[in-house]
Amino acid sequence: MIDIDQYAYNNNFSSFHPLEKSFFALFTILITLTANSFMTSIIVIAVISLMLITAAGIPFKFYLKLLFIPLSFLIIASITAVVSFSRELNNYFFYFELGGWFFGLESKSLNTAVLLFLKSFASICCLYFLTLTTPVLEIISVLRKFKLPEIVIELMMLIYRFIFVLLDTADLIRTSQLSRLGYSSIKKSFFSIAKLISNLFIRAYYRAQGLLTALVARGYDGKIRVLERKYSFSYKNIMIIILFETFLIIISIFGGGNFV
Amino acid sequence: MSKKVLEAENVVFNYPDGTNALDGLSLSIEKGKKIAILGANGAGKSTLFLHFNGILKPKKGNIKFRGKKVSYKKKELKNLRKNIGIVFQDPDMQLFSSSVFQEISFGPLNLGLSETKTRERVDEAMQIMEITNIKDKPTHLLSYGQKKRISIADILAMKPEVIIFDEPTVWLDPKHSKEILGFINQINKKGTTVILSTHDVDLAYQWADYIYIFSDGKIIGEGNSEKIFRDNKLLKESDLIKPWIIEVYEKLIQNGKISSTVSVPKSKSELFELI
Repeated sequence: MIDIDQYAYNNNFSSFHPLEKSFFALFTILITLTANSFMTSIIVIAVISLMLITAAGIPFKFYLKLLFIPLSFLIIASITAVVSFSRELNNYFFYFELGGWFFGLESKSLNTAVLLFLKSFASICCLYFLTLTTPVLEIISVLRKFKLPEIVIELMMLIYRFIFVLLDTADLIRTSQLSRLGYSSIKKSFFSIAKLISNLFIRAYYRAQGLLTALVARGYDGKIRVLERKYSFSYKNIMIIILFETFLIIISIFGGGNFV
Repeated sequence: MSKKVLEAENVVFNYPDGTNALDGLSLSIEKGKKIAILGANGAGKSTLFLHFNGILKPKKGNIKFRGKKVSYKKKELKNLRKNIGIVFQDPDMQLFSSSVFQEISFGPLNLGLSETKTRERVDEAMQIMEITNIKDKPTHLLSYGQKKRISIADILAMKPEVIIFDEPTVWLDPKHSKEILGFINQINKKGTTVILSTHDVDLAYQWADYIYIFSDGKIIGEGNSEKIFRDNKLLKESDLIKPWIIEVYEKLIQNGKISSTVSVPKSKSELFELI
């Protein structure tokens, strides 16, 4: 998670307008999910992955590692979609019998499963595109533009900031516990981790008080008003996005077809 | 007699747990001066600062701003907080946003400034603190010294009349301490009154125009740095040590190397000239 955060700030797309990136990711997801086309999903997976690795500068190995995280879920989900069972022999092209039940693969459900798999995989690629190129702060600023309730925005902003502050605190506590052999046996480890967690709660509370004081000192009156950094739209990027999305729509309409 | 910008009159304050944080404390801050406040941990320095900003209200006594008693009405509090800025000791406690720009824009927007005006203020504050180059970086990827600078820019953007620095050099290495002190002096030269709390007697001696010594919620000594640091009884009472420059100076007099009529050197270079 922390690595994703670092890449989000240090990639070649970081200076692009967050709205451009969000629209690109969201529209592509929308098209992939609505189109019943293998071609569309495959193109999306290929294009997004290539963009991330070559243009944005995300290391290939890191990206691959990220893709493996949801892959296991996807595979399990797809298998359950492929295998069907019934009392009668349906038009399975492969099956086996077990206690009067027929377990088998239907070509129709295989089709659905592969399509489902590709669609989800392509959507994940799109989401990775957004998270790897767009820092959380910019995503929050986009949400603010979409008029998400202030309280949600403020919470997101503060939580994002204090994840790192509390992470540092947890790290310090852990180091000091380690230096006093706090994790030298399983029993001690449990004891230490319990202390760490409870301590973290107290620190969080103390931090919250300190933060409130500091905010009030600067005139806080119940509403956190801040200004966003200015980004400029790039006509070139917008054109590329429009062209790509149109291309995808055309492919989805004409390039549809069934697998197997 | 120059103008008094901030005053505390017999301020008494105790925390809910019973600690007597301020015990009938009085002091007055002159406009444009560099004031240092020395005292052990828990002597009441931070508590007084929160009074100056209207966050804490004295149980007894008064706080005066520009000679007028603070009444704690909403509008007046806003004005007080506009004019008295506090740079807190731990920047991680003060910074609430991961974006440098958002962070600094918070204060000016609370003052009711327009967006254009706020952008100007933020840019100006970033320029003064020399942090324009890190404005696109998230707070958690910055060093402690950089965060300290942001926390000062936070306050600068509000253009207060008085800025209070709560132990600004603590946890900083000598190089960064010096830099931060340089910024503080620069701010003071432009007319802002600066109040600074510290444990560093050498810093207080060389830097301050006027020094207050706190102990158990009271002031046990005040005056210019020479008066304070040549008062052995006071130093003993307040558990402070003598600045090394004065120690060398007094040793030189004792050994007859210089006459006692020579004025006390204020800095290292002045001392070297004597030798």
